[in-house]
Amino acid sequence: MKEIVLEHTLPKVFVQVKDLQSEVWNQTVTFEKERLYLVEANSGTGKSSLCSYIFGYRKDYEGRILFDGADIARFKTSQWVKIRQKSLSLLWQELRLFPELTAMENVDIKNKLTGQQTKQQIETWFEQLGIADRMHAKIGRMSFGQQQRVALIRALCQPFDFIFVDEPISHLDDTNSRIVGELLTAEAKRQGAGVIVTSIGKHIELNYDKVLKL
Amino acid sequence: MNLVWKLLRQHISIPQFAGFFFANLVGMTIILLGLQFYTDTQAIYQSEDSFMKADYLIINKRIGSLTTITGKSSAFTLPEVQDLDQQEFVERVGLFTSSAYDVKATFKLDEGTSFSTEMFFESVPDEFVDVKSDDWGYQQGSHEVPIILPRNYLDLYNFGYAQSRNMPKLSEGILSAIRLKIDLAGQGMRDEYEGRIVGFSSRLNTILVPQQFMDWANEYYAGTKTVAPTRLIVEVNNPTDDRITSYLQDNDYETDQDKLDASKQTFLLRIIVAIVMGVGLVISILSFYILMLSVYLLVEKNSTKLENLLLIGYSPTKVSMPYQLLTIGLNVLVLAIAIVAMLAVRNVYLEMFESFFPDFETPSITTTLLAGVCLLGVVSILNVIAIKSKVMSIWKRKD
Repeated sequence: MKEIVLEHTLPKVFVQVKDLQSEVWNQTVTFEKERLYLVEANSGTGKSSLCSYIFGYRKDYEGRILFDGADIARFKTSQWVKIRQKSLSLLWQELRLFPELTAMENVDIKNKLTGQQTKQQIETWFEQLGIADRMHAKIGRMSFGQQQRVALIRALCQPFDFIFVDEPISHLDDTNSRIVGELLTAEAKRQGAGVIVTSIGKHIELNYDKVLKL
Repeated sequence: MNLVWKLLRQHISIPQFAGFFFANLVGMTIILLGLQFYTDTQAIYQSEDSFMKADYLIINKRIGSLTTITGKSSAFTLPEVQDLDQQEFVERVGLFTSSAYDVKATFKLDEGTSFSTEMFFESVPDEFVDVKSDDWGYQQGSHEVPIILPRNYLDLYNFGYAQSRNMPKLSEGILSAIRLKIDLAGQGMRDEYEGRIVGFSSRLNTILVPQQFMDWANEYYAGTKTVAPTRLIVEVNNPTDDRITSYLQDNDYETDQDKLDASKQTFLLRIIVAIVMGVGLVISILSFYILMLSVYLLVEKNSTKLENLLLIGYSPTKVSMPYQLLTIGLNVLVLAIAIVAMLAVRNVYLEMFESFFPDFETPSITTTLLAGVCLLGVVSILNVIAIKSKVMSIWKRKD
């Protein structure tokens, strides 16, 4: 996948809103590979909705979303499965980790599906993010900040053309935020992928190619 | 798959699955046992007479003193046959054809002993005779004729003649190997044939030959094709039907009453077995319902996990698989235990059967096993489809 185009995309709940001022909604926006985007938003402007539309699990919008020119509204189940395994990665704001599993198992459950990363690479990331000692702890017993880092590692355990990270550092200190930014950009660069970071305030300091106000 | 299973086995309710397991086990065992019991009892009825189904009645006109004196014919006329054929309880009617020529048969037991007797032949349409078509038929020009003898001929020999002369008793098998010399005569012709005994019948008190042979021989030796039938063979759809008895009485016909009773027994047996199997089926369906409810509940309780698995790239097929394998595994286990239980119960009643009927040959259990496997297949396919569609509803929920 080379580009994602939003063509007058607008959440149905915003249809009635007059004088909507947004650089994303109801505009034509193109996300390209190998570039870095920051989508800044206030609460309630549909940041998570944007992620869920692009990830194909919500369809309550008007306009079109195109992957390489193909309207994603027509994609079949099997196409979505393939896209989620090989083209798109998403770090959810709500993380979507499994509290019954340990940190490592949460990463493994994804990595076993894709076979993308080596065990060693994953362990290195755990160490770099300062949660190596929590590797075998149940997710349910970890702080949200620790969970955010585990979710990031899981998001990196797949091939992708674009990675969306929805408020990745909301609960991290500056040092960890910096490391997250480094890991993210390094892996995206290695894979030649585009990165879309969303934020409602605090955001990772990176050299963004484009900043969009939602 | 291990991690996925670790996730999805959360909230599995052991009591619910145990409930399904035992209910289905009971249902399945009843169905299999009913089917096998029916097969086994059928073997008993068939071993009495393998050439005629119990549903066939043989009807003749009552012969009273008046018939003899007045010389009134005991043969059936065409309108009488047609009238019978049109009765609702009748499936089909066949005519007995009698030989219109002389028949003389000679049994040769050994060099010194032989029986010779004047006889007669009769035939019924082939579809009423349950013998393999290879054995039952006649090629014109052939000098070999298949025949079915009444079983009481054998009894007459074994318990009368052989008993009084200290001669060895003959089994059906040995007698079937003995060739029978048959002389047919009529219209100035006389030919020798060889009779091949293909079996014994306790239902038919006559010497039966294939219809083809009879038609040919009647024309050849007697110059006639049709001889008015004195007996009819009738297939009825329900031997317990009261209308049969009243129809026979009204028309002054007779039938072999005890055979009517025997066929009533098989008919009743069939109904009882059908009811028992129906009960088994109902239990099985209810247990299937319990299983589906438990699985639905399970999927509902684990819906967040399932949704997350789908979002991180697992396909609905892969996510459904653990639950599908679980239900298929349970179904297979149920079938296996039900088969063992069925065989255990069968062993008990087979012992009784064998003590009552020494000639009883144990029928195979293939049909029952096949039925069990088919049932397993159908139930499992329904399970698989239901689970997949439930997972798909989670996939689509975010629409």
